[in-house]
Amino acid sequence: MKNINLTPRIFLSAVILSLGLIIAAVPKNTTTPFKLTAQQILEELKSGTQYLEADAIAKMIIEKDPVLRLIDVRPQSEFEKFSLPGAINIPLDNLLAPEFQEVLNQGLMTNVLYANGSTRANEAWMLVRQLGYENNYVLQGGLNHWFETVMNPAAPAATQSDDEIAKYDFRRGASQALGGGALVSAAGNSTDKSGGVPKPKPQGKKKGVKGGCS
Amino acid sequence: METQKKPKKYMNPYLAGVLLGLVVVAANFVSGRGLGASGAVKSAIVAGVETIAPKHADASPFYHKYSEAHQGKPLNNWLVYQMLGVVVGGFFSGVISRRLTWKVEHNPGIKSKTRLIFALAGGILFGLGSQLGRGCTSGSALSGMAVLSLGGFLSMAAIFGTAFMLAYFFRKLWI
Amino acid sequence: MGPLVVNEVISENTNLLLAFFIGIAFGFVLEQGGFSSSRKLAGVFYGYDTVVLKVFFTGAITAMLGLLFFSLFGWVDLSLVYVNETFLWSTLVGGVIMGAGFIMGGYCPGTSFCGAAIGKIDAYIFIIGLFIGVFIFGEAYNLLEPLYMAEFWGSPRISEYFGISEGVTVLVVILAAVAMFWGAEWAEKLFPRDEY
Repeated sequence: MKNINLTPRIFLSAVILSLGLIIAAVPKNTTTPFKLTAQQILEELKSGTQYLEADAIAKMIIEKDPVLRLIDVRPQSEFEKFSLPGAINIPLDNLLAPEFQEVLNQGLMTNVLYANGSTRANEAWMLVRQLGYENNYVLQGGLNHWFETVMNPAAPAATQSDDEIAKYDFRRGASQALGGGALVSAAGNSTDKSGGVPKPKPQGKKKGVKGGCS
Repeated sequence: METQKKPKKYMNPYLAGVLLGLVVVAANFVSGRGLGASGAVKSAIVAGVETIAPKHADASPFYHKYSEAHQGKPLNNWLVYQMLGVVVGGFFSGVISRRLTWKVEHNPGIKSKTRLIFALAGGILFGLGSQLGRGCTSGSALSGMAVLSLGGFLSMAAIFGTAFMLAYFFRKLWI
Repeated sequence: MGPLVVNEVISENTNLLLAFFIGIAFGFVLEQGGFSSSRKLAGVFYGYDTVVLKVFFTGAITAMLGLLFFSLFGWVDLSLVYVNETFLWSTLVGGVIMGAGFIMGGYCPGTSFCGAAIGKIDAYIFIIGLFIGVFIFGEAYNLLEPLYMAEFWGSPRISEYFGISEGVTVLVVILAAVAMFWGAEWAEKLFPRDEY
């Protein structure tokens, strides 16, 4: 048998060819996109920090807060029948479509996901959270709760605290501004104590690595 | 060879290539970016023009944009530090392999003046081309290919393809 | 885990310090490989010394394989790594100009600094040329901008462009490189040059 002369070239060729075959054969690693472990998500779920109250959202809509972005995760047919002012529609089925990733994964806006109840919006939130996306929140109670509180607030009994009455006044004002059913206009002096809305966290350098040679 | 002690032989090119590749991997692992060289020259030019003619630099988008991207400190750039390292690393390698000599390296068939004129012309073209092509052989071709960038492959093909096509016309310089 | 600076494992300043060390390794390897000599570099275009081709392609392939394996092991998130942008015309025209500069000057920017580090005077002149070239581009930017910005394709990977997996792309490059290495060593035997 003839001995193969193991020159550096032949040695290198053999090594890179075998490594190349391996890398061509194994499927691409797709586990890395998931940034948060199940445990971390569970902790966040338990703490409930993803919820934003209807009052806080209503206030932002009235004040035309530029960082607010409402995202309707219901199917398109339902979205067309009714949606919150300025909302965009990302049906839950299409949540992971590439064209929506820029909307969901960003550091400029506060995204508020909503559906009729809390469940579907929460499902959407869990998915994007698992991908490590920041600045996504859920409208607490969904549209159902929105109608009960903001659009058709129940008048508080006179015996209730000043807080409750102020809240009611705000809601009446809000519902009028948003085209709801309440008739009496309120001062609109929104003494809102329902907890502030978190400012969007800048995304940092996650996408901004400048490279190249120019 | 001019020096008394003979310079050591160069490393096996395949071994050098593997090490070079590992350096590129390290750069991507640490900083999420590849290597580069012409970018450091650009930093220096932007810094120089800003110091000498600040108004002129403000008016031109080329200087202005770059400076803005570096918070007004164009020299505080990854590539500038990397290129300082290249000089140190090259010098260190020259020391241990006994290759430190002041000389104009050229083909015996031409004068050193000819060599220097063409070196200058080549440098000007490379400087211009690297800005237009958004990177030189290291930044665009090597590092671009490492991350499988389409631009990197095109850049490599254009650089080496042109050099091969023009090789015949400049053969006197080299053989 | 990686890229370290993007995932905020290390700070921006540490990143710059590490850039210096990465540069040292880069310069050291270039010089050891013989890239500080313009005559060695230009040899690839005449077949008498193909060190450029061997180092360049071995380097590119090692880097490709390294990054893909790092990604496979979950050590680096390739979606966060910078992918060079593709502006078709400026890349091609710039490449052609650089190719002409390469055959005339015998260096490329990185190797010229390496040559200068060990005292090559032609490398210093080449570097002066580089500065002039970049300055000309800066001054002529308004004129060149339409070409500079034309045909922006985003940051496609070649694998996406051809619609094949990254691993297969690398394998194709490896096959091409193995053939080129064989051709290069054959050319070196065909156009031998002892002393240069």
